[in-house]
Amino acid sequence: MNNNNPNMTEILERRRFLAQLAGAGITTLGLNEPRVFSAEKVEQPKATADCCILLWMGGGMASPETFDPKRYTPYEVGVRSETILSTFPSIPTVVDGVRISQGLENVAKVMDRGTIVRSHRMPDLGTILHSRHQYHWHTGYIPPQTVAAPHIGAWISKVLGQRNPAIPAFINIGQKLEGHGESEELKAFTTAGFFGGEYGPFNIPFPMEAANSVRPPKGMTPQRFEARMARWREMVQRSPIGDKTSDYHRDSIVRSMENAYRLLSSPEREAFELEREPKEIYDIYNTSRFGQGCLLARRLAESGARFIEVTTEYVPFLHWDTHENGHATLTNMKQQIDRPIAQLVLDLEKRGMLDRTLVVLATEFSRDMMIEGVPGSNASDQSRAKSDVLKEPKHYGLHRHFTGSCSAVMFGGGIRRGHVHGVTADERPLIVTKDPVSIPDMHATIFTAMGISPKTAFDIEKRPFYATEDGKGKSVDAIFQKSRS
Amino acid sequence: MLFKCFDYLKKLFCYGLLLFSATGVSFSQEKPLDFAHEVVPILKKHCAACHTNGTYKGSVSFDTRQALIQSKAVVLGDSKKSEIHKRITSKDAAERMPPKGTALDEKEVHILARWIDAKLPWDDNFTFKTGTYVAPLKYREVKVPAGSGHPIDRILAPYLAKQKTGNQVLVTDDVFYRRASLDIVGLLPLPEEIEAFVANADPQKREKLVEELLRDNRAYTDHWLCFWNDLLRNEYKGTGYIDGGRKQITSWLYNAILNNKPFDQFAQELIKPNADSEGFIKGIKWRGRVNASQVAELQFSQNISQVFFGVNMKCASCHDSFIDTWKLDDAYSLAAIVSDRPLEIFRCDKPTGKNAVAGFLWPELGSIDPKLPKDKKLEQLATLVTHPDNGRFSRTIANRIWQKFMGRGIVHPVDMMANKPWNDDLLDYLASFLKENKYDLKKLIGHITSSKVYQLKAATFAEEPAAENFVFNGPMLKRMTAEQFMDAVWLVTGTAPAKADAPLPKDIPLATGSAKRNFVRAVLVHSNMLMRTLGRPNREQVVTTRAELLTTLEALDLASGAIFHDIVSRGGKQIFTELKDKNKDVIIKNVYMRSLGRNPDASELIAAAGLLGEKPDADSLADLLWVIFLLPEFQLIS
Repeated sequence: MNNNNPNMTEILERRRFLAQLAGAGITTLGLNEPRVFSAEKVEQPKATADCCILLWMGGGMASPETFDPKRYTPYEVGVRSETILSTFPSIPTVVDGVRISQGLENVAKVMDRGTIVRSHRMPDLGTILHSRHQYHWHTGYIPPQTVAAPHIGAWISKVLGQRNPAIPAFINIGQKLEGHGESEELKAFTTAGFFGGEYGPFNIPFPMEAANSVRPPKGMTPQRFEARMARWREMVQRSPIGDKTSDYHRDSIVRSMENAYRLLSSPEREAFELEREPKEIYDIYNTSRFGQGCLLARRLAESGARFIEVTTEYVPFLHWDTHENGHATLTNMKQQIDRPIAQLVLDLEKRGMLDRTLVVLATEFSRDMMIEGVPGSNASDQSRAKSDVLKEPKHYGLHRHFTGSCSAVMFGGGIRRGHVHGVTADERPLIVTKDPVSIPDMHATIFTAMGISPKTAFDIEKRPFYATEDGKGKSVDAIFQKSRS
Repeated sequence: MLFKCFDYLKKLFCYGLLLFSATGVSFSQEKPLDFAHEVVPILKKHCAACHTNGTYKGSVSFDTRQALIQSKAVVLGDSKKSEIHKRITSKDAAERMPPKGTALDEKEVHILARWIDAKLPWDDNFTFKTGTYVAPLKYREVKVPAGSGHPIDRILAPYLAKQKTGNQVLVTDDVFYRRASLDIVGLLPLPEEIEAFVANADPQKREKLVEELLRDNRAYTDHWLCFWNDLLRNEYKGTGYIDGGRKQITSWLYNAILNNKPFDQFAQELIKPNADSEGFIKGIKWRGRVNASQVAELQFSQNISQVFFGVNMKCASCHDSFIDTWKLDDAYSLAAIVSDRPLEIFRCDKPTGKNAVAGFLWPELGSIDPKLPKDKKLEQLATLVTHPDNGRFSRTIANRIWQKFMGRGIVHPVDMMANKPWNDDLLDYLASFLKENKYDLKKLIGHITSSKVYQLKAATFAEEPAAENFVFNGPMLKRMTAEQFMDAVWLVTGTAPAKADAPLPKDIPLATGSAKRNFVRAVLVHSNMLMRTLGRPNREQVVTTRAELLTTLEALDLASGAIFHDIVSRGGKQIFTELKDKNKDVIIKNVYMRSLGRNPDASELIAAAGLLGEKPDADSLADLLWVIFLLPEFQLIS
């Protein structure tokens, strides 16, 4: 043996710290993390939900084609574009007097479990860039910011922590972050920002491959992985580094490896395995990657994830981002989302989880046949099917980005059932005419349901950074089951 | 929007009102009290000895207005009812204040009474508490203690002698080589390099190694490009590029580092740029409307302040700062320098109707002529930033460089240069050294790394030390950056990518020494999900330090992520192909040397042999690599 061999005291000292680390949760962290801003005392509201599932309709879901149907104009060559508000007829829901758009028949059947917010309204940010509006919706702050703003999932993960030490708190399903035109912009908000990586998203772009992210690498047997891990532990103890005493840099590596191992070896990781779902249930969800994502979200919610986002995926000009051929594309999009969303609500209910799980469907803005931005905005027209009258099917659809109103839907988690909040105009411009809900207010509502005050602030670079912009978001109390005061 | 601080504002506003009304009700016949010239001298003469700056007899403090009010010695607006007035006018020797010495005279009593009646008007920021540190602006000549050692060691000798846990042990040659090589050129040393170094009997070999590493222009540049990309938020793709709202400076920056451009000239070319370096001051132009405090001009103001002076101008871009003395006007004065249009000042995103006037942070160094055209104003700014009396410029970069090598700045954090350094002699010395050596950054790096303190055994801390408790005890353990880690793994496994993504200048030299040191470094390729997880930022904001701790998500990516698994698997094959004819011990020793820069001890040899099994193959070698790459010893620079 050479002189690197630790003596007995050192070995004992190391065992002690390794044992401590193995027992320590994910939350044991260093000083350099931002702390709660202490200048003012914030009272935290009583939570009505323990878990939040965000269903993200990336690309701008047109509310007149989904949850806020307006006068329907069927396709016919020669129809003047300006007369068109909706390209689908409306259908009734189980709630008297509440109609939504054709193609959402299954969701219509569960509308008595939730609230449609028709008066969600975005600010005009000038020229439309989806990722910029998505940044705003996901962080609550308009980019650019002087510090890296955290995603709302990171906020929830940071303030509330994990529900289950073996399941990451914040899971992001369905969004590829590489390989398309705005991927760098998406990464700018798909992050824990100044909270640091511990609270960042666990990204699962392909739900069917979710199990791979919590399994030993492909082609490796569990035995081989176990052997690696066992040797690693042994080598950590033998390896001389710096002093023989504990160091926070070194400890973070050992602790995080043990946390990762806990996830990779825990029974809870079965939650990531969609093939364990009964076939008849799996088939209901299996409309698309989004549908599979909804199933994965339900399984993870059951296992103790704290915040799960499932997206229809934003890719420029795809999915909800209809610059042409809008009607045909939306027929398909609604097929993708209708059954899975309804089934998610029913499954949560069946498991007795809906009361404590907040499901939120949202998008960065709506769309309109004629108006880009809001009335009077100088945003440049981005339609690829410009025509004053319908000449061919590709002209038929809402091809402009509209920020004057949009719909969000919320289920469970203490939210009122069978309710509609807010009103929009019945003729163009389809702007909010009653009870507008801004992004800070929407966030405040989500935070409040989760038991987090919208005024919660963290100290970053010696300045307070609030959960909602300037701490000013106001929870929309009218949409909670029991009005909050 | 930029987050604003309405609650602070509210408080400030109320406080302002209070002062206003307080002075408003004072005796109308007399002119308002002058706190600094009338009140303070009386308090200093009669009260300060027992009631300020750490001594608070009877729990009465005159340190600040707030402290005095909390002491309950005054009734605001009513001197007659105030304890202070009773005490200073008392005839009872047991009660009178001050208890010893002469009593206050009539005029003094009258002034204090007026002061209390006026509800204690106080000058902003005034306190009797001393020790509130004010960072110097100019250079200060430091008297280096006499002796024969390195000046840095001589300066720090008295400081280190005072520490109870004085760390005197220097690291061994192999550890030193790994540390210096990773710190200066970002590369793991090769086994043959370490062996030759250890065997070398030259007593000057460590100083010579540092010089040799600094002479490897290519490897040095590839390493420091990462630091400068972070600091100047230079990236090869990303936000802003989508519609020409951003311009990279890669080629200019690469050449500047490669040629060791003097730092004053470096800064000047960024501030008054040429076509290749203009990206920095152009900032990022976002499509659509942005908050007034984030327009390109204000980004300029914030970035110049942060990068060159460690000044946080982000608060003051929106309103007068609450954390230091910078004002909204200061932020806008800098912004006005670069503005092509009359720049209206916005307070908290609301127009004030007032236009900004170009100016500089420290008028004592000189001013900007607002009437000049933009390029002339930028030229003036460049001159002021690098002014021979602007010690802040050199202190800021010297502190950043010290932090890179020692793990912690002399001023901490490195972007708050108004904080007190733990050793001002050291900081001031390094700043002057830089200036005297014509702003040669390599000289500064060579100077720091040839000191004995840089050779000390790594200092360890059970927890991250808070600013007030930090004691320098040698270089801290430092975590590799994402780029260092990737380079290390690629070097060991021979799996570096084939070509660079960064638009490099033409005709750049190769790294010196072995061909193995010439590969496409991580800094030169686009970030991937693994590097991103490991902390490579997306550079929309200026980044000056990377996260020091490994997180669970990072560990997961290393433990089972596809990208890393692929590298390790290919590495296993590579090494197996290279060494399959050798016996097991030789293979293990080889892997240890190339990864950790040392030989395994007997127990490690046994453990590693257990992992390799009877007959090593590509898979079992991959297992060994995986274990080693995930060791704290591999990921940290000790």
